[in-house]
Amino acid sequence: MSLAIELKGIEKNYPGVVANHDVDITIEKGNIHAIIGENGAGKSTLMKILYGMVKPDAGTISIFESPVTIKSPQDAIGLGIGMVHQHFMLADNATVLENIVLGSEPMKAKVVVDYAKARENLQNIIKTYGLDINPDDLVADLGVGMRQRVEIAKVLFRGAKILILDEPTAVLVPQEVDELFKNLKVLTANGLTIIFISHKLDEVMAIANSISVMRRGTTVAELVPSKTNKKELAEYMIGGELPSPRPATTKPRDEKVLVVENASINDRTGREVLHSVNLEIHAGEILGLAGVEGNGQDELIEMIMGLVKPDSGSVTTVGLDTRESSLREIRDHGVGYIPQDRQRDGLLMAAPLWENRILGHQETKPMSNGLWIDKGAAKKDSQRIIEEFDVRTPSNSVSANALSGGNQQKFIVGREMAGDPKMLIAAQPTRGVDVGAQAIIWDHLIEARLNGTGVLLVSADLDELFKLSDRIAVIFRGTIVDYLDPRTTTPEKLGLAMTGEKIA
Amino acid sequence: MSNSQAGTKSIGNRLWKIITSPSRMMLTVGAVVILVSVIRQFTGIDDITSPGATGATIRFTIPILMAGLGGLWAERSGVINIGLEGMMILGTWFGAWFGFLYGPWVGILAGAIGGAIAGLLHAVLTVRVGIDQAVSGLAINLLGAGTARFLSGVFFIGKGGDVNISPQVNSTGSFTVPGLSPFLTTIAHKHILVISDIAGVFAGFVTKINWASLVMFLALPLTAWILWKTRFGLRMRFCGENPVAAESLGVNVYRTRFIALAVSGGLAGLGGAYISIVSTGNYLEGQTAGRGYIGLAAVIFGNWTPAGVLGGSVLFGLTDALRVRQSTSVHALLLIVISLAAAYGLTKLRKKDWKGFIINMAIAGLVLAYYMVNKVVPDEFVTFFPNLTTILVLAFLSQRLRPPAMAGAPYRKGEEG
Repeated sequence: MSLAIELKGIEKNYPGVVANHDVDITIEKGNIHAIIGENGAGKSTLMKILYGMVKPDAGTISIFESPVTIKSPQDAIGLGIGMVHQHFMLADNATVLENIVLGSEPMKAKVVVDYAKARENLQNIIKTYGLDINPDDLVADLGVGMRQRVEIAKVLFRGAKILILDEPTAVLVPQEVDELFKNLKVLTANGLTIIFISHKLDEVMAIANSISVMRRGTTVAELVPSKTNKKELAEYMIGGELPSPRPATTKPRDEKVLVVENASINDRTGREVLHSVNLEIHAGEILGLAGVEGNGQDELIEMIMGLVKPDSGSVTTVGLDTRESSLREIRDHGVGYIPQDRQRDGLLMAAPLWENRILGHQETKPMSNGLWIDKGAAKKDSQRIIEEFDVRTPSNSVSANALSGGNQQKFIVGREMAGDPKMLIAAQPTRGVDVGAQAIIWDHLIEARLNGTGVLLVSADLDELFKLSDRIAVIFRGTIVDYLDPRTTTPEKLGLAMTGEKIA
Repeated sequence: MSNSQAGTKSIGNRLWKIITSPSRMMLTVGAVVILVSVIRQFTGIDDITSPGATGATIRFTIPILMAGLGGLWAERSGVINIGLEGMMILGTWFGAWFGFLYGPWVGILAGAIGGAIAGLLHAVLTVRVGIDQAVSGLAINLLGAGTARFLSGVFFIGKGGDVNISPQVNSTGSFTVPGLSPFLTTIAHKHILVISDIAGVFAGFVTKINWASLVMFLALPLTAWILWKTRFGLRMRFCGENPVAAESLGVNVYRTRFIALAVSGGLAGLGGAYISIVSTGNYLEGQTAGRGYIGLAAVIFGNWTPAGVLGGSVLFGLTDALRVRQSTSVHALLLIVISLAAAYGLTKLRKKDWKGFIINMAIAGLVLAYYMVNKVVPDEFVTFFPNLTTILVLAFLSQRLRPPAMAGAPYRKGEEG
């Protein structure tokens, strides 16, 4: 077998941080090679080096068995390396074709783009690799899976022989993941090599031919899926045993923190987005909410928080009727909220951590005395969160955007759990975070439950739902279709309920 | 909220259908021509569709169009150019001074260079240094005005000018299409319903057209061609839509924006040179009179497309022209507002929407009362009309408008998202 990529002794230092050191990876041509590791393990830096966006301080790179230096993305493209970014690099207000040809436009008469030729080339790629895209669609009109295929077509259009996929499944729903994997198999069957960056162990085990594990900036193991297992992978990633959540030891209390009765909501166009929802959460209980995204989860959270009032029925959150209470009152009464989009809804990215600690608590003690912000208390409590939740940061006065995603999330969880809320809404609390952060967040959710907090856990991660929840409610098309007991049900049963099939 | 929104949406939708469908566009234009023609016949104010009015509209449209195209280049590349006004001012000064020294065509070139230099300054400040685009643009406006006055003091005094006025510049000359022009003008003067009006308007396009108008107008098709056919244009548009993506594909965003801003300033400078050399024949302090800003409004009005910018420029140019020619024309055009409101009211009647009917008829009645009582419309209103139109367009079409996604957003190379 010939080698597609060989990295030896790659090293990259940033002021005060070693991002990569002694990285060795070899990848055979035609393989899907997974690179896994916690957030901050150095995967992104390594890929930026390979794609020419970052210059390594030491080490050698060989592509198709000849040593190269990659100074820019153009160099990388010239060598046949293409990057499919995690955050799509597409312009909405342009067509698929325009997005794909940008940067390597076939030309006629020196300055004019030969769109006819470009279209022909693209059609060939679409046919060869079975990618389902239309060159003339406006990108703004496309869904996530489609956009990803556009990104893949984009690198293929540049004649890429090696594709780097940076956490390609993070944004996809399960069906789209299957579709992607099918596409990837067609690609490798055509002789392409794929680097698949992920921290989802299931997917890596399912799709990869070989796996490199990274930890603290270096490669710690190179494995073959058939000769390893998830537990071993996880151990390599976090360098020890995988922390597992504690089993529930207490029973939920009688006291109810949330009562939703026959609540319905219409959106602005009059469409019913929630249909007579009934939901109860007891103190000291984790209620999991399962469902394919877009089935009313967001609206349900907004309704519980009192942001949107029910058009009919009633919602009583921590004893307050949401129709008669403001969001501020409900929050101050003891409701914590971990939003699913932490950067948009959970943090002020450019503000220091201690200021972020005050968010949502800016009018109540101890963060504020009603008129003035208590900076000292905010810093002190930020420090407590940093220690208790193992938030990796140089100090509590660096801005939130200096932290990795997992550490941002740990900080938010810490903040929302401060002051022992009566109820906690956790929307995708561990999405996109590494295994270590996930374990810490899970531990704290369980601890909150033991302390008598009622938790609504909205998650697309079935493992998470099954391991943490006392009960699982399934939402489908704006209504709760079923309740499941995680101890007796199976993922298959849950899957059926989520797609609206009645379980016998 | 939902009610009023539905209301604006329906008007917006209707306007949008007209704008996007050629056949509806033709019908609408046809209807307006007939309406205007009837009004001209009825009021006897023939200037509305005279060749002279068209000529004036062209002269007022060109500088706004240049500023608008300048704004289009800047915003399509991702940088908002509030500094267009200052760049235009530099265009008027350099145009007049070099026009005085070496002739009008050299002056026009110099005006473009003067604007381009300011455009490059904007690029250095916003793209390279990373200053807020609005702050930099504002600074350039102040700088442009100050520089022009300072240079006037240095160069004009003693040469037949003063701190606020330059010596006279020779004309760039104009042309009239032989045969066609007199033919159309003759028909126009016969005052036949519709036919004379169309002839009058077309006569304006072939009679005493300044060569500079023609040359500058070519910037419009050229811009459209560059944006949608060339590699540079494609890359420039992506710099405005998603610079991170563009950079990741090997597009040099900084260089592209530098070029786009130089062109942007150059176009604004051309517009300025047109004003000083063609419109007045010399530099006068403050003669741009906010046309740089109007150009920006034309960009928004035109939904960031070259054809749309032309539409906006003509609208603003037309109101400018009406103001300077005969305020009675504007008065006569009130009849259009009356007819449109009444006609729209009647369509409401058909749908049994009594409230809509009464409101529209009331508007028509009020304007009619104003029309009967007054003989002229105050200049202030006429001047304000383009701004009012922009506000209305924004209100009705804002959901449809599609600015370049990253125009105005700071971009640093190497940073993601």
